[in-house]
Amino acid sequence: MTYVETVSKGSKKWVPIQNGGVAVGKESSFIHGEYKRSAEHYLLPISRQWANPLTRFLTLKAEWEAETAHLSSMTKIVMHHAYQQIIGMGQIAIPLILLEMGKKPDHWFWALRSITGEDPVLPEHRGRLKQMTEDWLKWGRKNGYIT
Amino acid sequence: MSSKGQKLIEEIFPSLQAIGYDITSPATKEYNCIAWAAGDSETWWWPNKDCFWPYEIPQEESLDVFIKVYEALGYSLCDNDRYEEGVEKVAIYVDSEGIPTHAARQLNNGRWTSKLGKLEDIEHNTLEGLAGYEYGTVAVIMKRPKKN
Repeated sequence: MTYVETVSKGSKKWVPIQNGGVAVGKESSFIHGEYKRSAEHYLLPISRQWANPLTRFLTLKAEWEAETAHLSSMTKIVMHHAYQQIIGMGQIAIPLILLEMGKKPDHWFWALRSITGEDPVLPEHRGRLKQMTEDWLKWGRKNGYIT
Repeated sequence: MSSKGQKLIEEIFPSLQAIGYDITSPATKEYNCIAWAAGDSETWWWPNKDCFWPYEIPQEESLDVFIKVYEALGYSLCDNDRYEEGVEKVAIYVDSEGIPTHAARQLNNGRWTSKLGKLEDIEHNTLEGLAGYEYGTVAVIMKRPKKN
């Protein structure tokens, strides 16, 4: 039943009716979207989103990537404040970093060494992104961080 | 090449567009400018535990040490960046504290090739195109006879 049909039948209690997941009109869709956005904002304010480790990790990672992309200095890359904040997250960041590395290798080695106190990278792999990543993923599987 | 990469490069290095440059590779995190200037496109070079660094060279972030790296590859200091037939040149940039930030290598056409961190390789007409806040200034030029 559409909005028009509902109104024409004199129903006093109108409920937004979806058709295959799409609201009946543009206005209705807009109002529904705004309602949803407001509800999300009320229920999950930015401070609470920040407390979520995954959200925090992804936010810091995006900042780190954007602000260090042009740098060659590994010192400057790993000393970036967002990268250091990820290290500051401690153990909770390990599975998040390993998951990210499995999808898109990047220079997470300093962070992993700092948090875990371990270094599974073979000396002959130093500087080789894919091989270093594989060494750490192997470590992650062995230590139960990757299933 | 992606206009996104081009836009980012021009934001970071504002004088590059006027001086003239071309993007010559996709972006990659596998090697950096120090490696690229040394002719390596598989490894990230830096005096740091997580990077490749020639074992005979001290692990220090100083211009003297970076000069030693290229000396080990047959380069010696020279006094200009002009193109010379039969000669290959590299340039090392340093920041305001004298710490190396970047290296570029001269090509057969007289232009320079640079790998921009994790971004793309570019060919630029002059070394000044990358000078500025991020990479600082060119501190030294080095040269070696071109290999046949």
